[in-house]
Amino acid sequence: MPESFFAGDYMTNDVSIIIDGHRIAAEKGATILEVALRNNIYIPHLCYYPGLKPKGACRLCMVEIDGKELVTACRTEVEDGMVINTWTPKVERVVRPIAELLIANHHATCKDCPGTGKCELQKIRAKLKIQRSRVERLRSPQGALPIIALNRYLDYDPNKCVCCGICIDTCSDINGTGFLYFVDRGYSTKVAFFGDESKCESCMKCAMRCPVGVLIPSKR
Amino acid sequence: MSNGPAILVCQGTGCLSGGSEEVFVSLERELRNLGLREKVQLKRTGCHGFCEQGPIVVLEPYGVLYCKVKPEDAAEIINSAKTGEKFVEHLVYCDPSTGNPLPHYRDIPFYGKQERVVLGRCGKIDPENIEDYLRTDGYLALRKVLLEMRPEDVIEEVKRSGLRGLGGAGFPTGKKWEASAKAPGDQKYVICNGDEGDPGAFQDRSLMEADPHAIIEGMIIAGYAIGAKKGYVYVRAEYPLAVKRMRIAISQARKMGFLGRGILGTAFDFDIEVFRGAGAFVCGESTALVRSIEGDKGWPKPLPRPRTAEKGLWGKPTLLNNVKTFANIPIIIRYGSAWFASRGTEKSKGTAIFSLTGKVRNCGLIEVPMGIRLREIIYGIGGGIPNGKKFKAVQTGGPSGGCLPAELLDMPVDFDSLKACGSMMGSGGMVVMDEQTCMVDVARYFLEFTQRESCGQCIPCRIGTRQMFQILDDITRGRGRREDIDLLLELSEAIANGSLCALGQTAPNPVLTTIRYFRDEYEAHISEKRCPAGVCQNLSSPETT
Repeated sequence: MPESFFAGDYMTNDVSIIIDGHRIAAEKGATILEVALRNNIYIPHLCYYPGLKPKGACRLCMVEIDGKELVTACRTEVEDGMVINTWTPKVERVVRPIAELLIANHHATCKDCPGTGKCELQKIRAKLKIQRSRVERLRSPQGALPIIALNRYLDYDPNKCVCCGICIDTCSDINGTGFLYFVDRGYSTKVAFFGDESKCESCMKCAMRCPVGVLIPSKR
Repeated sequence: MSNGPAILVCQGTGCLSGGSEEVFVSLERELRNLGLREKVQLKRTGCHGFCEQGPIVVLEPYGVLYCKVKPEDAAEIINSAKTGEKFVEHLVYCDPSTGNPLPHYRDIPFYGKQERVVLGRCGKIDPENIEDYLRTDGYLALRKVLLEMRPEDVIEEVKRSGLRGLGGAGFPTGKKWEASAKAPGDQKYVICNGDEGDPGAFQDRSLMEADPHAIIEGMIIAGYAIGAKKGYVYVRAEYPLAVKRMRIAISQARKMGFLGRGILGTAFDFDIEVFRGAGAFVCGESTALVRSIEGDKGWPKPLPRPRTAEKGLWGKPTLLNNVKTFANIPIIIRYGSAWFASRGTEKSKGTAIFSLTGKVRNCGLIEVPMGIRLREIIYGIGGGIPNGKKFKAVQTGGPSGGCLPAELLDMPVDFDSLKACGSMMGSGGMVVMDEQTCMVDVARYFLEFTQRESCGQCIPCRIGTRQMFQILDDITRGRGRREDIDLLLELSEAIANGSLCALGQTAPNPVLTTIRYFRDEYEAHISEKRCPAGVCQNLSSPETT
């Protein structure tokens, strides 16, 4: 019997970490965000989706380790003895402005939005108790960009997109190369459809997984 | 260099745009008419550095420098080149304070106060002719390395020299080499980062245009030290002349057996390819650059991630250094690490190369020992502020750096001192500003740049730099609000600590330093609707709230 046969059994679930004062037994190889969410500890996040490769792009899941540096919880694997604080003054000074920037920049027509109710940004606003007065200090975009038809099944609202990339990764996860890509750069970054439209099976997983309701099934 | 008089015509991008090719053609025609074409050497060289005074023509071996030369000056120049005694008076540089003519470049303060080592060949050799490089001890360092040194000796020598990466971050070069050498893998890469993109910086371009073989030699030595067989020079597409000269140099080096299989008769193989960037500033960031070569979108990779030294191009160990860093390598090998480390400061060794621009008399490409005072650069080499104006600030490190005020003029210029003041060494841009410069407008300019060049991947940089730009734009248009300064400081901290890569992390620096050192100007714009420098107009227009 090879040694590793037994070793494997003992190797799992053998990391002990502390998140916000709670001692938690965690699985080796899991990320801080996965362990926290599994244990009902909320860490704000937008670009993470279970099963997809963590991108560390939204920067909302930043946490403080051992009172030292900030790391993205979605990309940092737990280590035995790790002490993690999800909400310290240092974390707040980074995460709160990012959330406020997002909200100031997001066309808040929640009433008619297909994402309302399941919207991660609404959740972040509620959890962080984002104040209107703080958001109003920021400059919001003037006017709105037109809705873009990605293909015959899907419309895309660039005014609400948070560029998390979940739709893009979902599509490539299902279809290999995928049809959705980021185009342009900086503030103009948006999602676009590339490739043979007839190959898109309109599985709508991209729209379903969108954290904010940017992808809308076409009415045409 | 060989005997007989030589006329060197600067063909850096600056002088070329000033018409130096026409000067060259005119000189050539004149020499031919006089039957002297074979007797007098006429050369196109790379940047001589004194760009302010271009097109520049130098007469060797006399060391005479002519400024602002026009094609019709050809006959007079050739006449003076024959003897080297009579100068063409109206082309000679005059000391701006005394008015005395200074025909020899060694007497011109712009050159006299410099320590041109890495730039030693710039403006003196024809960059498109490998013979010129060989005549000036070119490829001797490579010979020494391949025939007398083991890879680990080379790394040890680079470590001992104390050389730090000259792309901006100042990471110890030897350590980087060691990490790439130790990383397991039979296939490794060497990449030279020539994606210089800071506004006002042209030192990497000038070096690639003026002395391409020095960079190639440094890269081959690096390849030998870390065990790589392939190198890439990543040059931004906006530098067509640098691309052309690097390509010519590579093909000449290949023909002479310095690149390719069995270099100098050893078992070492190495070759280099030029890769042109596609115009994104962020591709100067190492992981974005690597992705760009791989054909992917030039997006930096988030931490935690394996180091480029361990898992870089195509997932293989990769050594990535700046143009100037590689150009320093042959010098360290030839003169030894002890000599190299004897110059500069305790923690910043050797020299620094800057593109000195802005409101300074002598704009140009300069090389100075690390630790030199800012004042010596701006007043000694730069000749001070023109038109009787007062110095206000100097910006180093481009969009990642900061603006330093007159109180800091006596500060030593090195990696750590600049960082401590909120700026950075950066790749080597140095923009001087006079009293007629509005510091809020300067901050606005740099944020306009970063928000445009942000890759768009992470939220703090994508939306945050845009927001900072909008606030600064409002302030310069009289729409500033009382809480804006605090808001800018708050956003700066979030963007600096929250962004995914160095572009976002350093983007607030121009804002932070201008608030730190020139806060009263912000306040004047916001509360009094007044621009103290008189740059921002319409501050009290009707739209003001």
